[in-house]
Amino acid sequence: MGEHQKKTTSRSRKVVGIGVVSTLGLTALLAGCGGGSNGTATNGSGGSGSNNGVVQLTLWHAMGGATGQALDQIINDFNASQNKIKVTPVYEGQYDDEFNKWKATQGKGGGPNIMQVYDIGTKFMIDSGEIVPMQNFIDQSHYDTSQLEPNILGYYSVNGKLYSMPFNSSMPVLYYNKEDFQKAGITTPPKTYDEVLADAKKLTIKDSSGKVTQYGIGIATYGWFFEQMIATQGADYVNNNNGRTGTATQAIFNGPAGLTTLNWWKSLYDAGVDLNLGSTTSLTQNAFLAGKVAMFIDSSGIYANMVNGAKGKFDVGVSELPRPAGATGGTIIGGGSFWIPKDQSTADQQAAWQFIQFASSPAEQAKWAEATGYFPITKAAYNEPSYQAYLKKYPEFQNAIDELHGVKLTYATQGGLIGVFSQARQTVQDMIQSVLLNKQTPQQALDSAASQVTQDIKNYNLTVQ
Amino acid sequence: MGATEITARTGPIPNNRRRTIFEFLQSMPFILPALILFAVFFFYPIVKVVYLSLFLTNSQGVAKHFVGLAQYVELFQSPDFVQSLLVTLEFVLMTVIPGIILALVLALLLERSIRGIGIFQTIIFSPISMSVAAVSTIGLMAFNPSVSLLNFILQRLFGLPNINWLNHTFSSLVAIALVTVWMNIGFSTIVLLGALHNVPTELYDSGRVDGTNYLQRLRYITIPSISPSLFFIAVVSMIGSFQTFGQVNILTQGGPAGATNVVVYSIYRNAFFNFQYGLASAQAVILFLIVLVLTLLQFLVLERRVSYS
Amino acid sequence: MRESRLGLFFRYVFLVVASLVVLFPILYSLLISLETSNNVATYPPQLWPHPFHFGSYVEAIQTAPLGRFLLNSFVMSAIIVCGQVVTSLLAAYAFVYLRFRGRNVLFYVFLATMMIPGEVTMIPNYMTVSSLGWLNTFAGLSVPFLANAFGIFLLRQYLMQLPYELFEAARIDGASQWRFLWSIVLPLARPIISTLVVYVFLQSWNQYLWPLLTTNQTNMQTAQIGLSMLQNQDSLAWNLTMAGVVIISIPTLLLLFFAQKQLVKGLTAGAIKG
Repeated sequence: MGEHQKKTTSRSRKVVGIGVVSTLGLTALLAGCGGGSNGTATNGSGGSGSNNGVVQLTLWHAMGGATGQALDQIINDFNASQNKIKVTPVYEGQYDDEFNKWKATQGKGGGPNIMQVYDIGTKFMIDSGEIVPMQNFIDQSHYDTSQLEPNILGYYSVNGKLYSMPFNSSMPVLYYNKEDFQKAGITTPPKTYDEVLADAKKLTIKDSSGKVTQYGIGIATYGWFFEQMIATQGADYVNNNNGRTGTATQAIFNGPAGLTTLNWWKSLYDAGVDLNLGSTTSLTQNAFLAGKVAMFIDSSGIYANMVNGAKGKFDVGVSELPRPAGATGGTIIGGGSFWIPKDQSTADQQAAWQFIQFASSPAEQAKWAEATGYFPITKAAYNEPSYQAYLKKYPEFQNAIDELHGVKLTYATQGGLIGVFSQARQTVQDMIQSVLLNKQTPQQALDSAASQVTQDIKNYNLTVQ
Repeated sequence: MGATEITARTGPIPNNRRRTIFEFLQSMPFILPALILFAVFFFYPIVKVVYLSLFLTNSQGVAKHFVGLAQYVELFQSPDFVQSLLVTLEFVLMTVIPGIILALVLALLLERSIRGIGIFQTIIFSPISMSVAAVSTIGLMAFNPSVSLLNFILQRLFGLPNINWLNHTFSSLVAIALVTVWMNIGFSTIVLLGALHNVPTELYDSGRVDGTNYLQRLRYITIPSISPSLFFIAVVSMIGSFQTFGQVNILTQGGPAGATNVVVYSIYRNAFFNFQYGLASAQAVILFLIVLVLTLLQFLVLERRVSYS
Repeated sequence: MRESRLGLFFRYVFLVVASLVVLFPILYSLLISLETSNNVATYPPQLWPHPFHFGSYVEAIQTAPLGRFLLNSFVMSAIIVCGQVVTSLLAAYAFVYLRFRGRNVLFYVFLATMMIPGEVTMIPNYMTVSSLGWLNTFAGLSVPFLANAFGIFLLRQYLMQLPYELFEAARIDGASQWRFLWSIVLPLARPIISTLVVYVFLQSWNQYLWPLLTTNQTNMQTAQIGLSMLQNQDSLAWNLTMAGVVIISIPTLLLLFFAQKQLVKGLTAGAIKG
């Protein structure tokens, strides 16, 4: 660095002393200039086209990890089963990201031929007018829907019309570490809010200095859980029967059911038995696998991932989503479904429909369910020998299936329909955090979140009309 | 290229008007590429963002419904936006001041050409080459109490509890600030070190004669001499802090309960998640005005106290 | 000025501590990337991986097309570097060597763009790029950044230091502006251009918000955005994620390692005179 102190450097030396650095820089420069001329025309993976009479379809999805691989498997099976259509999956990140990307490309080309959308995107998709209702294809080809699970169809049917084909369907369940339960002397998993609190206290372990080394429970502050928890109490999220009998205009989740849930959640947190890792569920899954939490709530769809992750460490138990004692509602059958965008030729649409039928077939659904923990959307899958063998091997999972079949279809368990659900979920997540962190009382937080969501619904309804 | 021949100037002197036009035309090929790009990607958007802020837009960003200043009123009445502004200001203070002090200390440590200094320099400059995505991803792990090595070290060295960084109001902002300060440290240190090397040695020599100690020399000679660079760093890192996005998007998504919902993140959410481009544009205009005013203030207040040699 | 032995000792101690603190995140990611997935999710965490496990790198490359992401980042950065060098050099040349009406006003107008944070203009810019059909293209990723006031300013300051006699000599020789720029100014300005190249390359490579907005297809995503593909997995595999972090950071770390002096010189010169 001595050079720095020299106030004058002869200019000629500067010119000569360019050295490695600028060579490197100039190489990059030249390479870049070369790239500049032809770099702009790169084509995206979206869109479709046919090659030698083969219809090329793009499928956007939000399934990562083992779940993504299982989806790839279905697509490979489909591509191998015939030679007229080739489906290419594109992983577009988590549900929110994938959905937002679709919103951004709407009507501009470059979108997919088959689009997986999470449950709460349903209303937006219908309102967008950018899709062909699944019912049209079902009616045209006289597709038999009687084998499909009615509890799953319930979510995606609006005014008696099925708009999209359910694909990955799951419900929230309570996962627990069987070893920890044994050590704490708990024999049956908790079913009610009070039992969860009592058991979580037993399962929380502190070291000699009072630091918690294992939390009784971890609940991600994910809005989906809140939606589910009020549904188990029979409460609707929005008015007009959860938006099922008319367009919803107001959020009503701030009733007694919401209050009971938040009070309970806060009691867990205040008792120091709940590990709050924010709304990203994978962080809590991680903590479970690392032995930091003994119980956690998450989708049944990650069952396979949990069992694999815990292999050699502990056994994973599954139980139904806890609820207040005496609550008689049920959970909402969430997950995702396949949509067919309008913005493509009829031939492509038909090809997409071919794939969707294939993916809904009992054999593929059984494979899918085994590989992931999602429910088969068709009852016939339960007759597949491989799935029967799977349930024998993992009897725990029967609890989740019983939960699915036990649900009575009501407006509450059909789930709310609003066009701004992803925003609402975000608002609810902030609401939960602000209760846990003592920024607002549960009722205050509920009321302000509800009025925020109501405002968003109003704005949305204005732009749709 | 005949028009741009330098020799043209040596010819018979054209009348003033013609010469002005000629000179102007001559300079355009040099100026236009940058000018056009600035016009399209800086000046037009500024006008457009103001325009959009006066409208309700649909999800495609088409201005649908003129609402005048209603969205500004709405914003200033919204506790969320006010919180977002306060969080941003708090964040700027938390990053700019510690950032400058740290960079100054590091630059002073690196100032002497002692053995091995090159290695230390490379290490301390290295954050300049790391991306916000990479650093925040590391933070995701370092701030997670169930796997954090950072917490483990803090526990061992200072007896701190196992902090759940990203899920408490204050610590989440601290976490974002730590990432930000770390990312800026390379650049700031480079600039300050350069300034230190440019302080004329005679100043120190005369100071030494007077029998002053290190801290006094620092106070009365070094800092005044490098004050233009300190000022430069203050302005640059303030603007940078106002623009913080990646850290928030990767680490907290504005949470918990809005504790890290800085203005830029809130703009992003409103525009590209909630598709309320109009409202987001109003926020962007407010952000622009704040940055502008604060920068001008810094120029007015700080620059007076800065000595240029 | 000599330092006492004790002073020197403390200087080294502080330097070592500071280096460790600054290096911590980088070392952290490196160590975690070498863990096995089983060892990584333990608390208290393991400090030193045993055994060293390189499988995460292989797995990371299989999980996400990191090679493609790196290539995209490189092409995008190279276009931006190229564009900025050209536009900056031309504009700086005009500001230094050409006399024309409105020159000073124009210079301040250019400088004023430095006061406009990209986040303020991103919504209209996004709309512009999207309406041009430039989403998911290198054009969309790079064109908005092809001109930057910082580069113009940096080069202008440098060119002003060059002796004006060179210009006059060229004039007498009858060289055109373009020839003078090409054969005299460009070679002389090479050191500062190298600085600009390195600086702009680092900046472009590390961009996050704009590529996040304008790319939604895997094959057009840059390394910074593609990285999230490794974290978005249903179960977080930290070793995999950290392997990704290391992979996308290596190019810029190497660049800094080789180009440090150039970068430091240029930046300090620009900042001090600024």
